[in-house]
Amino acid sequence: MGFFKIMQWVVWKDLLTEWRSRETMSSMFFFALIVILVFSFSFSMDQQAAQELIAGIIWVAFAFTGMIGLGKSFAVELQDDCLNYLQGCPGSKGALYLGKVTANFAFMFAVEVILFPMFIVLFNLNVIEEFHILLLIFLMATMGLSAVGTLFSALTVQIRAREVMLPILLLPLVVPVMIAAVEATKGALSGDSFALYRQWLELLAIFDAVFMVVSFWMFEFIMDE
Amino acid sequence: MIAISGQEISKSYGHYQVLHEVSIQINQGECFALFGPNGAGKTTLLKIFATLSRPTAGQIKILGRDAVKEKDMVRASMMFLAHGSYLYDELNAIENLQFAMGLRHLTPSLRSIASTLDRVGIGAFSGMKVRNFSAGMKKRLNLAKAMLAQPHVLLLDEPFTALDDSGIALMQEYIVERVTNGGAVLMSTHDRDKAAPLAHHAGVLSQGILKTVSSKAG
Repeated sequence: MGFFKIMQWVVWKDLLTEWRSRETMSSMFFFALIVILVFSFSFSMDQQAAQELIAGIIWVAFAFTGMIGLGKSFAVELQDDCLNYLQGCPGSKGALYLGKVTANFAFMFAVEVILFPMFIVLFNLNVIEEFHILLLIFLMATMGLSAVGTLFSALTVQIRAREVMLPILLLPLVVPVMIAAVEATKGALSGDSFALYRQWLELLAIFDAVFMVVSFWMFEFIMDE
Repeated sequence: MIAISGQEISKSYGHYQVLHEVSIQINQGECFALFGPNGAGKTTLLKIFATLSRPTAGQIKILGRDAVKEKDMVRASMMFLAHGSYLYDELNAIENLQFAMGLRHLTPSLRSIASTLDRVGIGAFSGMKVRNFSAGMKKRLNLAKAMLAQPHVLLLDEPFTALDDSGIALMQEYIVERVTNGGAVLMSTHDRDKAAPLAHHAGVLSQGILKTVSSKAG
């Protein structure tokens, strides 16, 4: 039970800190807003092209927005050497990892929930029938991004050029998640039969599981020194 | 019983050797004061004892347990109050203590948190965000952490820095209390006047070499 208690404390601390400072969420939100508006204006004359590319646009916006949140996830722990306290506490570091993953997932998903209606309006998307599928895709892809992103946030936090290193290291790794998310979202938004894009969801599930297990295992070593 | 034992601890960063075969032994109920100039390796040595850094060579045992192989057990029995305050600006004093204790599997009641904050002299600021705290108040809040955790082994890095006279007295009182109750304290400080009366043993670390070790420093 101690494992889940530690996880709970980390989630509680991260959510409460963010609720009070609104530092991460606001920067994520405004970045994503700019991306959406830029794409919206770029494709305003060509709705057909927009419809074909919308899945990619959505995930470019979400992934880069998530990168901002992930970058800050462990950077806040550098303040007042809090990272040292986390490292020096007894108990599994995996609990810290899962707590951070949960908090990062919550931030990223919250921004997606706020921003997706803007995509619907600006790109004239019809999502009513496939809403539950889209929700599942968003949940699974966001989980994959936060699972591996949290690990790399911890890995790069002590590097001087961490803002540069995080995307350089993370983006190539999350390519499978991005491709699966884009393809599944494209299928859902086009109104295709679920069977046609189901394999992409299965791929997302596999990557989520692999990323989570490997990252959980590696986090202990990263936190050790 | 030996509480803190370090045998021939060495630490290198690349070609630069910070510690040279340092050996320290502290029994339960004893306080060891480590003096030395800036860059002597005091903080590095404390971090090694706190399991935050691995020695290049040497063996560390805390309460008889190997600090590398039984890291978790060792961490549960000790607390390291470092230069950094380990506090979150957006949380208030109570929340910071709850979080810090929660990570150590401890759940002190609100009443005991409040009385500890009163004892360290910041009870009136318990609901204030730590971002508004002075360095001295943060130090007192950190002391409250140690008081709540009651570790068997206490590692202190410059414990008197930023504290006013009453804060220094409070820190000294707590160190004596810990030692009297069978705990062991290892502190590094520049402040000989304040540390020497508390210490059973003292050593001077210079350029990574523990040069002098004397007993009954006071």
